[in-house]
Amino acid sequence: MKSFEYGDREVGTYEVFASVANMVIGFGVLTLPRSIVETTSSVDGWISIFIGGLGAMLFTWIVAKLVARFPKRNLHDIAGAVIGKPLAYLFTVLFAGYMMTFVAYETRGVASISRLYLFDRTPVEVICLVFLLVLIYAVAGPSVTLFRLNTLFLPIVILLLFVLFLMNISFFEFDQLMPFFVTDWQDLVLASKESVFSFIGFEILLFYNTIINQPKKIAKASMLGMLIPLVVYLLVFFFTIGVFGPEVTGNVLYPTAELAKQVEVPGGFFERFESIFFSVWVLTLFNTAAMAFDVSLLALESVFKKAKRTTLAFWLAPFVFLIVMQPQNLIEIELFGEWISYAGIGLGMVFPAILLLLAIMRGVKGRA
Amino acid sequence: MPRFLFRNHNKRSPLRKDGVKQGEASSSSGDIPGSVHEAVANIVRILDAPDDLVTRFVSGGDGIPSCAIVCIAGLSDLNMINEQIVSSLQQAFSAIGHTEKMSGQELYGLLNKQFLSVQKYKTTRSLDDILVSVLSGDAALFIDGLDQVLLIGSKKWTGRSVEEPQTEALVRGPREGFNESIETNLILLRRAIRDPKLRFDTYRVGARGKKELVIAYIENIVHPDLLQEVKRRVETIDIDDAPESGTIEQLIQDSFLSPFPLILHTERPDKVASAILQGKVVILLDGTPFALIMPTTFVSLVQSPEDYYERWLIGSLIRILRYIAVFISLTFPSLYIALVSFHQGMIPSKLAFSIAAAREGVPFPAVVEAFLMELTLELLREAGVRLPKPIGQTIGIVGGLVIGEAAVQAGIVSPIMVIVVAVTAVSSFAIPSYSAGIAFRILRFITMITASMFGLYGIILTLIMICIHLSRLQSFGVPYLTPLSPGFSRDWRDMVIRAPYTMLTKRPQFMQTKDDSRMGNRRRGP
Repeated sequence: MKSFEYGDREVGTYEVFASVANMVIGFGVLTLPRSIVETTSSVDGWISIFIGGLGAMLFTWIVAKLVARFPKRNLHDIAGAVIGKPLAYLFTVLFAGYMMTFVAYETRGVASISRLYLFDRTPVEVICLVFLLVLIYAVAGPSVTLFRLNTLFLPIVILLLFVLFLMNISFFEFDQLMPFFVTDWQDLVLASKESVFSFIGFEILLFYNTIINQPKKIAKASMLGMLIPLVVYLLVFFFTIGVFGPEVTGNVLYPTAELAKQVEVPGGFFERFESIFFSVWVLTLFNTAAMAFDVSLLALESVFKKAKRTTLAFWLAPFVFLIVMQPQNLIEIELFGEWISYAGIGLGMVFPAILLLLAIMRGVKGRA
Repeated sequence: MPRFLFRNHNKRSPLRKDGVKQGEASSSSGDIPGSVHEAVANIVRILDAPDDLVTRFVSGGDGIPSCAIVCIAGLSDLNMINEQIVSSLQQAFSAIGHTEKMSGQELYGLLNKQFLSVQKYKTTRSLDDILVSVLSGDAALFIDGLDQVLLIGSKKWTGRSVEEPQTEALVRGPREGFNESIETNLILLRRAIRDPKLRFDTYRVGARGKKELVIAYIENIVHPDLLQEVKRRVETIDIDDAPESGTIEQLIQDSFLSPFPLILHTERPDKVASAILQGKVVILLDGTPFALIMPTTFVSLVQSPEDYYERWLIGSLIRILRYIAVFISLTFPSLYIALVSFHQGMIPSKLAFSIAAAREGVPFPAVVEAFLMELTLELLREAGVRLPKPIGQTIGIVGGLVIGEAAVQAGIVSPIMVIVVAVTAVSSFAIPSYSAGIAFRILRFITMITASMFGLYGIILTLIMICIHLSRLQSFGVPYLTPLSPGFSRDWRDMVIRAPYTMLTKRPQFMQTKDDSRMGNRRRGP
């Protein structure tokens, strides 16, 4: 089967690759170096990121194997076939709720960085509301739009990161990276839990399976997609430590953003590179949020079969908005993110793993 | 199996059988009375005996069926009718003499075999066909006792000659442009592509206008589903008249809500020919020089035939320049608004000082200033288009220079704003497709509004919305953003850059053509 046929509305492997990468890269990378440095010393945190990334890739593989076993079926159908209808309903609704909070978290992230780096007077509520409205516009159409959007935005985001790194090379001090391997292995493992948080997002495959046209290639495409965030995170980590040193990194709010602040555009064409950085970073945050919103809608659609998509989106939006407004300060936002991450590990990693195990043990398979 | 999820908004209107194909005689018999005099009288009665209706009877002797010719004076070539039809009839009658009796059918056979020396004709039994043909300049030949009518091609009227296309001038490239006559346009196409598989499918659109519409394609290149879809949509057209191909475009395009053109129009035969060779389908309409190319992608809005005529490096660089022009035309005024009203810190200090100094006396916020200037410019442009050429230039000078200068002097706008507006205007002229330029103009104003409310954040959200819209659009089943997304890496060679010809060995992959090689098959049978 070809990856594209005239007039179709399905997604091929490249779209899957780009979407997984874009979904995973989100708000987490901005704070990642800080949360890693909090428990590890010197530059050793990269081992944690590496372990976390490998772990995430393992689970990506599991999710991909699970969905490849049931071509053109979503989580609701798969769970229904493996563990029965009632539990399937429960988990689908839970998944929808989890994805909704994910949307809220990303939205809040956009608002807080905009407040910090773009404008300081516009209220958070308005920033979030505008973002949500654009999100609704995005999810009102077919899901394949979002995949195509990802293929458009991913190169821009990666290019931006490389510009960021390139311009920081002059600030990079190799001495900051010394000494190597001084952290206790328990701390490393503890920190790798933090990094796993930044790697969730690949579970979207559980629902997008219905429009992916080459089920056999999902595993490869999504693993490659996970490789992008892994490399990006490692580079970001090395650069923040190399530029700021572990002590400073541990004490700034968004270390990755501070990297952007360092940059001086050659020729003085414009100043404050961080504003540009954030404007473009909104692209990936938007994609993450839009896909999460879309998956949330897909989950609800599979439960409430008669509901119309746009109606659901409009009904969900106020709830998302309320969730967005719950955290009162940055600490609460972080805590909020942590809870979402636990939910992600539960629903996006453990649950599919159990499903796959049960499916293999009981020999359940989906028809092509 | 291809899966179709077309937006079939056309399904509402019932399919009309109006589009009777040429050469296919309609089977409804009984429209033509046996007697020539009755038949002609019938036509005269239906048309209410206009002055320009010419009827001419030619009769042989007794027992030989008489004939009649009906045509419209201004539309038909009367000389040709006299020299070829009437004289050949007379020759036939004199050859037959008084010797025998003859039926209409026999006379027709004789004429057909020996005497009638016209270039093209067809037969019909349908009164509608006769009327349409006569009213489009053909001559109808009635033969007594024959239940068919010969429609003889005798169209001739004074039209524009083939001139250089006004709206799409090129520095290098053929100077021929389409004109209003569909015959000429088809000839221009035939001259460009001498492929035996080049097909012209003729339809008639408009219940009253009855204009000739031709769907042109190459049979062994085009994707059959695309062709079928185009035909299906053309067949659903149900309107009294289609004055211009723009009407057709709006009736068959995928989304009527989008500001972007989903069907490209051109008056350049070379552009049409290259589109057909890419596996696209082209619609030509009688009475307009503008041909429609479908499907259209976003990328093709920024392409110009010249990219292919110049060497690849020049073509590529000019194309990159156009993409920059698109970006500037879309965002430059809004970036100015955002920077001046929200992110002053992003402007380099020295420039910030000079902008601040220039804006010292300006009483309005940046948005109002920008809107004032943009609006003035749009007015000037619109006025310039309407006026005759020499005056149009005056308007440009008076408007552009005098108003701009005076507005700055009067302290209504800052000089920087004039620069911004001027650069934006110049960039928007650099976009080859006029209708795409309009789309970016509309979106520019939206971006300006959002920029005035949310600064850079507003601009980026607007750009995201535009991207969402673009990735949702389809043109005849082909996603609008192909080959960018869904990605076709092979087609990227002819997207932002125009790779050397030796690398463009295949037709666009996203067109899913039957025959995909452009090079390396010199010997190809029909």
